Amino acid sequence: MKNGLVLTAFLCLLVFCYCAAAADTVPKLLGDESDGSMAHPIHRIPLLAEEGDEIGPDDDPLLPFSTKQTCGGVCHSYDVIATGWHFNATDANVPPGRPGEPWILTDGRSGTQIPISHRAWPGTFTPRQAGLSDRLFLKIFGRHLPGGGAGELDPEKPEDIMRSFVSGKLQINCLSCHDGDPGHNQAEYDAQVKRENFRWAAAATTSFATVTGSAKDMPDTYDPMMPEPLNDPKKVPPGITYRANTFGDKKTVLLNILRESPSNRCYFCHSNMYLTDEHTEKWTGDEDIHMTAGLTCVDCHRNGIDHGIVRGYEGEADTSANPLAATSSCRGCHLPGAGDEVPVAGRLGAPVPEHEDLPPVHLEKLSCTACHSGPWPGDETILVKTSRAHRLGTIGVNKSHEALPHIVTPVYATGDDGKIAPHKLIWPSYWASLTDQGITPVAFETVTSVVGAALADVERPVSGDWPALTIDNIVTGLKVVAGSVEGKPLYVSAGNLYSFDDSGDLSQEDDHPAAKPYLWSIAHNVRPAAQSLGARRCEDCHSPGAPFFFGKIAVDTPVENRAGSFVEMNQMHEASGPTHVAVNKFFKYMIITVMTLLILHIMGDLFRRFMTKMSAK
Amino acid sequence: MKKSNGAATVEPEYVQRFGLQFRVQHIILFLGTLGLIFTGIPLWCLGRPEYGWTQSVVRFFGPIATIRHIHRAFGVSLVLISIYHLLYTILTRQGRREFLELLPKPKDVADVMKNSLYFLGLSKERPRFRRYSYCEKFDYWAVYWGCVIIISTGLAQWFPEATGRYAPWLTYELAAEIHADEAILATLALFVWHFYNVHFNPSRFPGTLLWWHGRMSREEMLREHPLEYEKLMSARE
Repeated sequence: MKNGLVLTAFLCLLVFCYCAAAADTVPKLLGDESDGSMAHPIHRIPLLAEEGDEIGPDDDPLLPFSTKQTCGGVCHSYDVIATGWHFNATDANVPPGRPGEPWILTDGRSGTQIPISHRAWPGTFTPRQAGLSDRLFLKIFGRHLPGGGAGELDPEKPEDIMRSFVSGKLQINCLSCHDGDPGHNQAEYDAQVKRENFRWAAAATTSFATVTGSAKDMPDTYDPMMPEPLNDPKKVPPGITYRANTFGDKKTVLLNILRESPSNRCYFCHSNMYLTDEHTEKWTGDEDIHMTAGLTCVDCHRNGIDHGIVRGYEGEADTSANPLAATSSCRGCHLPGAGDEVPVAGRLGAPVPEHEDLPPVHLEKLSCTACHSGPWPGDETILVKTSRAHRLGTIGVNKSHEALPHIVTPVYATGDDGKIAPHKLIWPSYWASLTDQGITPVAFETVTSVVGAALADVERPVSGDWPALTIDNIVTGLKVVAGSVEGKPLYVSAGNLYSFDDSGDLSQEDDHPAAKPYLWSIAHNVRPAAQSLGARRCEDCHSPGAPFFFGKIAVDTPVENRAGSFVEMNQMHEASGPTHVAVNKFFKYMIITVMTLLILHIMGDLFRRFMTKMSAK
Repeated sequence: MKKSNGAATVEPEYVQRFGLQFRVQHIILFLGTLGLIFTGIPLWCLGRPEYGWTQSVVRFFGPIATIRHIHRAFGVSLVLISIYHLLYTILTRQGRREFLELLPKPKDVADVMKNSLYFLGLSKERPRFRRYSYCEKFDYWAVYWGCVIIISTGLAQWFPEATGRYAPWLTYELAAEIHADEAILATLALFVWHFYNVHFNPSRFPGTLLWWHGRMSREEMLREHPLEYEKLMSARE
């Protein structure tokens, strides 16, 4: 009897453990796990609409396919993919990792450029702090979002709930990375986002679908599932047509899906245009050495089904769940692991650097990128355009070199890991208010309407460059901001903070913490050993005026009297640059002073000898 | 000159101003310094590619690694002679005596003032110097200061690993700049100031071999170091 009870209890424990384990394990779907074949799986699949219904060529209304249903559904775990780096910015539980490229909210007329990010990167503001609702954020930046994250947040404002039903959400756009179809047009995504056709945006990028109309023009009561004719002929409801012969047997469609994303897909959001005199046009410059060697972006930036892509910096493994995070950095590939397990070459045959005659202290104080990445430094930083900041690749982009926002590079600055690395940098310029909560930017829409109107008479360059804001313009702006927001009005730009003092006069605080520049590391283009800093000689860096220490970082601002000012590169290093400057000046002045005195002494002696001789005659 | 009892003393034609020790040290010092200046030129030019002509100078001098090695060899000679001179000053009687003579004194300040007034025509007499005038003391202490600066900054660049590891950030860059600045100052002071005073001034032009034989003529001693001469003569008596 007693044995029977024990056996029963043991069996119950087993069943309990099994159930607990089963509950904790997410079942893997058809495409979540590779069967080992290195060939790309063919995706001849039905297209599914938002509600999961199969789409057929004769449907009425014809609906756009939903990536969540078509790619997710029964094949890939959408919720797991949604935890990936490209989609998890809005999840506060995800460690922010090393500061990266922010979204930059820009309005030239009001003298505004603010780095914003959902991630807690010091120096950035959240969209909400900048006064952007989730929907407004999408309307401005959705063009370069791969969907998911901010694109799928539930709206909070009542008016946005209705609009969200009309426009749909920006689901994770699997095609923006995995579509191998040469007819894929990511620029169309931008066009659809502008029209608030969020539900249609992913489908519009394919070569077999055409989207017309605009959800933006539709009333809040518009139902895309049961569209009713509109009275206004100028307002065209959003609609989609599929190219003839798109659908095969059983309504299946052949999608040219690639497991490894082609680099061309990455470039849409991650291109750089360095505005140097020599290499502005892409064809005049050289390619990243890794790409030249035949690698693609995803050879280093790898991920599994969870899409936790490797960003590729040292120390990433501390916060990343990606098991390859530690071995996919520069060192991870190029340096043998512990115990010299890779004795002659690193990952993918990466050459192990000799660094002959390079004092090892360099490897302690510099990141690999300091010498091997980014444009070759000149006496001054240069402007750089990026896809996300300057809408590169979209239709109607301003191709002027001076177009805002102004990002400068390469800036050699000490990172959080204590190593100096090349960075991109922007100087925030924004209107703000000082309240009990500290300094917060004035809501973007308020700035563009109120300050923009007050400064309407300020001439704006056709190039899209900053207008030249005078002190009077700043006073005008502060006055109108004071009438629109609570707290003390402020204007932040070029490291300075402008406000009214107690007597009502304009005061200026230099080097204010709220005005510090925001920097983020760069790693591309990678230069080979022969083109690295120091390859020619130590004097590449260790010489008077060498850009690494003494290059000029342009202080970018619309404030007229600060235009053209610079900060020396060593100010961005961990130690004090001013000491260097002071000592340096001391020796320069000492030479001049001592030699002046000595020469005066010689001249006095000569003069006296001459006079004595003359008087003797 | 006559003795107090009326008997005349024979005044020497020359005075042995510097002993062999001093002269050898001086010769090693100036040979090393000239070598450092000569080999320092291409090294200075190398770090300044922004001036187009500098790279031509670098090319003219030949392999920069060799130049750097030679420069360091001369640097070692400077370090060694500095150490030797320090020991000579501390351990030898002559060294201590010379060192005490070279120490700045209130009279030097007064001499500077007096000489300045003389240059300006406000005084009819030059100051009367002892063994070393303030100009020579300036030369000596400038070399002292220069050696400390040049050697320390040179070593900081020669051993960048240790500099980077143990010294504050930017020490290497500061060392490079200070080394160059001090070298320029030393070169200018040497060729303009020192050479004028010892070779090119009208009373000595086109030069003197004092550095070689250490002897100074009686006339020159009376003109340049009258107090020292009187001291020597009274000592002879």
